[in-house]
Amino acid sequence: MDKWTALEPVKLYDKATKATSTAASVISRFAQNQPSRATYIGPLPPELHLLILEHLPLYDLPAVARSSRALSRLVRDEKLWELKWLALKVEKFGLQEVLSELQNEEEQKPPPPRPNHFIVEEESDLALFSVGGDDDFGDFTEAPPTQSTTGTATATFGQFVTTFNTVALDNKSAVPYITAFPSHHTYRSKFIKAHRALAALLPKVVTPAELALSHLFPSPSKALYRGRILHLLALFLSPAIEPTRIWSAQREALSAAIEKFNAGLVSAFDGAEENRDDEGMKEAAWASWEVWNGSGEWELGKTWMEKRDVFYDSDRWDPLRNLTNNSLDLDPMVVFMTNTMESVRKEGALAIRIFPPSADILLAFTRRVATDVIAEYITPLLERSKEISTATYLKATPATFKQAWRMVDDIMEVAQGPTSKGHARKNSFADHSQKSSMANGKPAEPVITRTQAEDVIFRMFEMFMDDYLTEELSSTKKALDASCNEWDRKVATHTGLVSPNAPNFLASKNPAQVKRNVLASFADVLLLPVQVAATGGTAVAKGISKLNPQQWSDKSKMEANGYRTPLEDKDDPNVFDLTIEDADEPQDVEVHPSPIPPHIANVSRSSLAPSRSRPQSRSGTPAPGSRSPTPMPSSFDRLELLLSLDVALELIHAVRDSLARVQTFQAYPGSFGYRVRDTIEQLFVLLLQAMGDRHICPAFEKATEQMKMYKPDEHEITTSVAPLLQFFELVHLADTIQSMVQVFFDKELASHIDRTDFMNDVIREKKRFENALDDAVATGMNAGTEVLMNQVEHIIWSRTGPREYYPPENAPLELGPTQGCREAIQCLEMHCKLLKGSTSKEVLEVFYQEVGIRLHAIIQKHLKRQIVSLEGGFQVIADLNAYYNFIASLRVQQITQDFSNLKMLGHVFIVSDAKDLAQIVRDVTRYGGSFRPEDVYEFIQRRADWKKIEKTVDKTMYNLSFKEDCIIA
Amino acid sequence: MPINLTTSDNETFTVDKKVAEKSVLIKNMLEDVGESDQAIPLPNVTASVLKKVLEWCEHHKDDPAPPENEDKDDTRKRTTDISEWDQKFIAVDQEMLFEIILAANYLDIKALLDVGCKTVANMIKGKTPEEIRKLFNIVNDFTPEEEAQIKKENEWAEDR
Repeated sequence: MDKWTALEPVKLYDKATKATSTAASVISRFAQNQPSRATYIGPLPPELHLLILEHLPLYDLPAVARSSRALSRLVRDEKLWELKWLALKVEKFGLQEVLSELQNEEEQKPPPPRPNHFIVEEESDLALFSVGGDDDFGDFTEAPPTQSTTGTATATFGQFVTTFNTVALDNKSAVPYITAFPSHHTYRSKFIKAHRALAALLPKVVTPAELALSHLFPSPSKALYRGRILHLLALFLSPAIEPTRIWSAQREALSAAIEKFNAGLVSAFDGAEENRDDEGMKEAAWASWEVWNGSGEWELGKTWMEKRDVFYDSDRWDPLRNLTNNSLDLDPMVVFMTNTMESVRKEGALAIRIFPPSADILLAFTRRVATDVIAEYITPLLERSKEISTATYLKATPATFKQAWRMVDDIMEVAQGPTSKGHARKNSFADHSQKSSMANGKPAEPVITRTQAEDVIFRMFEMFMDDYLTEELSSTKKALDASCNEWDRKVATHTGLVSPNAPNFLASKNPAQVKRNVLASFADVLLLPVQVAATGGTAVAKGISKLNPQQWSDKSKMEANGYRTPLEDKDDPNVFDLTIEDADEPQDVEVHPSPIPPHIANVSRSSLAPSRSRPQSRSGTPAPGSRSPTPMPSSFDRLELLLSLDVALELIHAVRDSLARVQTFQAYPGSFGYRVRDTIEQLFVLLLQAMGDRHICPAFEKATEQMKMYKPDEHEITTSVAPLLQFFELVHLADTIQSMVQVFFDKELASHIDRTDFMNDVIREKKRFENALDDAVATGMNAGTEVLMNQVEHIIWSRTGPREYYPPENAPLELGPTQGCREAIQCLEMHCKLLKGSTSKEVLEVFYQEVGIRLHAIIQKHLKRQIVSLEGGFQVIADLNAYYNFIASLRVQQITQDFSNLKMLGHVFIVSDAKDLAQIVRDVTRYGGSFRPEDVYEFIQRRADWKKIEKTVDKTMYNLSFKEDCIIA
Repeated sequence: MPINLTTSDNETFTVDKKVAEKSVLIKNMLEDVGESDQAIPLPNVTASVLKKVLEWCEHHKDDPAPPENEDKDDTRKRTTDISEWDQKFIAVDQEMLFEIILAANYLDIKALLDVGCKTVANMIKGKTPEEIRKLFNIVNDFTPEEEAQIKKENEWAEDR
């Protein structure tokens, strides 16, 4: 329990400790250290009484005040009167002026018959009773405002309470009551003044309405003034005040009168409109706005809007004219918008002149124009475009949106224009909001904020968005599918595959440079704005024609001749840092600092490098014998054509168009904003999926499969492995495509998503795409290595003569590598170089290492099949040195070591003395741990003189002979 | 989570936390103290009153919290605007009515306090000063002069 004790209220009604929100302000006054129940009035503490009083109608308060001193004091409480005063909303609606006028009128009348002066008694308890002096309601103007704010008033009260305590102790009587503050600026006094003025008008509020109006306004007065008085009366006859017992009946009568009054205003307004009397319209409008009770629509404004010509003009505009000849040309819409905006501008300016700003007529009007005129125009247009084709529809939607968007600027122009100018002279009409903004000395705010204006269009267009976004996604998906399918079909039928102008990486001496050219021009093309607002029907097509690979070749040729300046100018680090990064391998050094020799461009164009044959030339080669009857060889020729930059471009382009269209809407707020952003992300994901899953991965799979089928002995040519070569080309292509996707991502998408957000769909999909590509390359590389090494083995086997290392005694000794060795190295060298610059360093290293390890094995296997004489031993060493040099050039530490060890192995073939040989064999350290004596022993068995030296070697090595073995056995 | 409440006459009530938290006082206490199975003492409330108050809380436990800083213009309900259930609920003898108001004030249950105050206001409506004195069980402590003065002071508000 002690846990709770601290929280236990000390005393039941010790207010100081329990200042609850319900009666907080009252509490402090009663929070004296008196016995708690002493301040109670009957069963309740004063603050609760006050709450009850707040619920009482005005006319019941006097009775309460007369029931006891304590209650009379409560009836004077400022809190109560603050509520009543605020219920009049004089400040809120800027009605002070009219109220003062009413009060002045009231003052001029003879004082009411009943005595209106309090007699201030000068005796006993009542010494403190100073009811605002002699509170003649008429002459408050003379009374000096001693306390002007409630704050000081309360302070006074505080002091008073202290005095009061001492007095109270002296006094045997009950708690003396006190008065409120001797100021006329209390809420109570303000309310009394207002009440006096307004209550005098109440008897005039009678039915019928005409009578009430003529009673209320016997003399001619301004409509706005009348409107404000009616407004005040309406506020006065509210449930928050309840000034009379029959207030609700009076309220009804007043409503009828207001209705009548308003009807008069509407006709006055119409009349003024016919006479083009802006001032008359303005007066009627402002007065009508004043009496509008805020429920339903403001009739005068509504009728004004409804009468605008712009709503009845629709026949003049045929939205379908934008789609003549079934192609989209928005010129008619431009004209339509221009005309519409002209009337909006005209009417809007008028609206600002004649309507009070708080009525927001301009906004309502523009909203209406948007939905009733523009949307009405757009709907059939889009419907028709949908009928024509999806592509037209997709183009039409953002284009129409852009047209409609022009309205925002026009609205802003209207909203800003005349307000600032007309501000000063509008004083008499200024409503509350304007007054306060002027008082603050701030520049006048436009009637409509930009957000509001944009909102008008956004809302209007929302109805089209759902369809559009769905359609955009599905159509992009279809387009991507179509491109991929078309490509698959072409691949399957081998038709239309030859595109001689496609850039060829391997043919170029510097693949990285070619790639750079391609990417640079790709980035350039991306930078070109896509014309969405197709006012001329052809504009959209431009993008595609720009993205033609043929132009790249042309361009690179031009650069070769011209030159280079354009490229260097475009060497925008943003482009290259991001795109070439992974392409820039160690061969950076090799990149020509000088302009590329013109022949490269030519080579890349004709793409007939000496090291490989073009498909055409190959297929033209009459070599039916060497070719297997399967169609495989011919499809090897086209391995690199499994992947196409053209298709990649097509895909990117399709998505880019969609993106550009969707981006028109990227400023959309709210839930459609989410959908737009989501669609943008979805589009990119679609691109990645199509590119990765549909294009690149199948291509690699196919290539890998075909490489696996490659049989080296079926082919004549030894220096190159056609499928591997083409596989490398494929890797280059894939790398380029990936770079293109990266460039595309950086340029188009990076602004839409948070790159660091690893949970983002796009980022995840991109990662997946890159991983899939890496995997595909790795798998292909694996198969490729296999093929390559098979080829190498084949070369070594088939080109090494039977007595290569066992030359006849008298043969002249050539100390160079054998033919098989040379060809094998040549083949390897070529393939290893080709891969540079197309894959990452890591992949390359792994590749080299694999090549080295397998070559190592092949050579060992090969040696073990030979018979090596002492002279031939030198040949072996020569070959091993050649292999070593090749491997060393690859700069892969581990295999270089292996090969240097292998080199040492050659020595076992040239040692003639058997004992020395045995020593060498046993010296494990010579071979760096690569070979155990047993391994080396296997090699020396291949020596031509093995039979002769075997026993000696064995004996030296193992210190035993067969004889001894036998004896032991 | 059930909450135990102990009244001044040492009776313990067990209610759902949600019901108990209609009282801002109890809600704040629970927030300050945290979870505890100890009974919360309510020394200002008797069992009979608390029973009544809890009945109200139970019925209103799912009401949405009233918006803060609401605009007093439109939301100020009139005396007659008491829901039917509340009207029946509050139809008790005067003594109990005042006790409920006091308890609602102490426990800080704004909506219940409003219902109570409105009911009292409805009772005051149209009554003479003497009737009001009777209602609150108070005596007329005015001197005749004072009473006359007060009458004059407030005459303006009377419905003529």
